[in-house]
Amino acid sequence: MIAYLIAVGIIALIYMLLTIGLNLQYGYTGLINFGVVAFFAIGAYTSALLTLGGWPLVPAFVVAIIVAAIVAYPIGLLSLRLSDDYLAVVTLGFSEVVRLAIQQERWLTHGVQGLPGIPRMFLSLGIGDYAELATLAVLVLCNLAAIGLMLHLVRSPYGRLIQAIRDDEVAVEAIGKDPRRLKVQVFMLGSGLAGLAGAFYAHFITYLSPDQFLPLVTFYVWIAMIIGGTGRTTGAVAGSLILMVFLEGSRFARDWIPSVSEVQMASVRLALVGLALILFTIYRPQGMMGSRR
Amino acid sequence: MTALLAAVGVCKSFDGFKVLDDVSFAVPERGLTGIVGTNGAGKSTLFAVVSGQLDADGGRVSFADADITGLRPMRRARLGLGRTFQVPREFAHLTVRENFLVAARREYGETLGSVFFGWGRVQREERTLRDRADGWIEFLNLKKVTDKPAGTLSGGQKKLLELGRMLMTEPKCILLDEPFAGVNPVLVEEISTRIRELNNSHGIAFVIIEHHLEALKALVQHLYVMDQGRVIADGEAAAVLAEPRVLEAYMGGVI
Ligand SMILES: Nc1ncnc2c1ncn2[C@@H]1O[C@H](COP(=O)(O)OP(=O)(O)OP(=O)(O)O)[C@@H](O)[C@H]1O
Ligand SMILES: [Mg+2]
Repeated sequence: MIAYLIAVGIIALIYMLLTIGLNLQYGYTGLINFGVVAFFAIGAYTSALLTLGGWPLVPAFVVAIIVAAIVAYPIGLLSLRLSDDYLAVVTLGFSEVVRLAIQQERWLTHGVQGLPGIPRMFLSLGIGDYAELATLAVLVLCNLAAIGLMLHLVRSPYGRLIQAIRDDEVAVEAIGKDPRRLKVQVFMLGSGLAGLAGAFYAHFITYLSPDQFLPLVTFYVWIAMIIGGTGRTTGAVAGSLILMVFLEGSRFARDWIPSVSEVQMASVRLALVGLALILFTIYRPQGMMGSRR
Repeated sequence: MTALLAAVGVCKSFDGFKVLDDVSFAVPERGLTGIVGTNGAGKSTLFAVVSGQLDADGGRVSFADADITGLRPMRRARLGLGRTFQVPREFAHLTVRENFLVAARREYGETLGSVFFGWGRVQREERTLRDRADGWIEFLNLKKVTDKPAGTLSGGQKKLLELGRMLMTEPKCILLDEPFAGVNPVLVEEISTRIRELNNSHGIAFVIIEHHLEALKALVQHLYVMDQGRVIADGEAAAVLAEPRVLEAYMGGVI
């Protein structure tokens, strides 16, 4: 039971990193990123491949962040030429391109067979079962650091400016400020965070395959952000925890409705998450923590 | 004396429909200039072309001895050419003070590096700008709503907010698109007074689009009248408004 809780906690904290990143992009800056999973996947595969190639974990994590952020650069630039809705389409399409590329480039990713045997974190310490607990602790620290940086950022003049961009980009240009530079930077920052989340994921699950990186992941992150409260850093925290309660809680729901098969249950879970989202938008449209959007 | 702001032969069409047809105008340094015209005459479009939100199909715009045709709005604003919008574009989720602060001209503080590695300097800059913002907030009678989200302000307050935000950019010239629209008569007087003060003490030139002819007449030195995308008359305000073709085109003879 403890092991199970730790595992759920790790996944929740990975989602939290993703949600914090998306919240910076959409909640604060208004960038509609429907391709969160792409940067998550890039981070996961980068770190997995590097460590399988003999790299130590820490530099592999750092490179995973950097690669995810660098890949975000051209996408961010592209978004400047397009309106907000186009960014949504482009990022969604991009995430599917990334997934298909992972599927096709077998020489690198082993395609649909997947990438097994990715080293676990803290394995070399020989602390056995405590390795997962240590992973959890590191994730907590990373999330705390991300939250701290985020709170600092959004209270700074920089943070004020990105929120102004979200509210009215034309007006931002009219007061002599450049929305483009900040939009690209924010897109890269959020994607770097997704890359970090991906690296944690790879070394926790220890096996990667393209079907783990469906757009569904992106939408879970969106749901977590919306439930928690868009444009609130604490909202990202609450939202990802609530999301996890729903996803995991609905697992146990099967014990009470025994006639449902495992496969059907997957759909029931999705339906439950969808229902939760609908109820939230009706009864608490500003999210758990209240929204500034 | 050369003009501070000048447009020469500006044309703009939407879907083949000529909205600006060879429009020229000039605003002298420290000038107070008005633009009037019927609904749809092309006044707001002219502002958009002059400040860069729209690209002209033809013609040139110059400001402070530089050709600014084709520059992005951001560049024009940095040169000191500001504008407000007919429909206010406040940053709805930022407070009034934040709206002012975000517009402040600054060299520092809005880069990622400064946020994480130059916090002391950012805060010093912030304190100075805060004082300046609070000064303008007081000047524009927005003190009561300083900490309210701008989206919750009344229509007239939003007009003032937009003007104040422009002032934070330290402009040489501000284009005001209907500053008196939806503003009560007492406040119209007050805004007029403020504009005169800004013009006198800060040397800011204004170009003002307005339908409140009386208030505008009392404020501006030079008036342009537009009709169907053309300038049909210009000159000293009272004289221009008395011209027969202006009466006919603009008022349908009723004034
Ligand atoms: N983006 C646009 N696309 C198509 N037509 C436009 C656009 N913007 C303005 N127009 C048209 O251009 C004409 C002039 O519009 P404009 O807003 O400049 O008028 P105005 O003189 O400011 O009028 P008002 O006094 O009502 O504000 C109108 O007929 C309008 O329909
Ligand atoms: Mg107009």
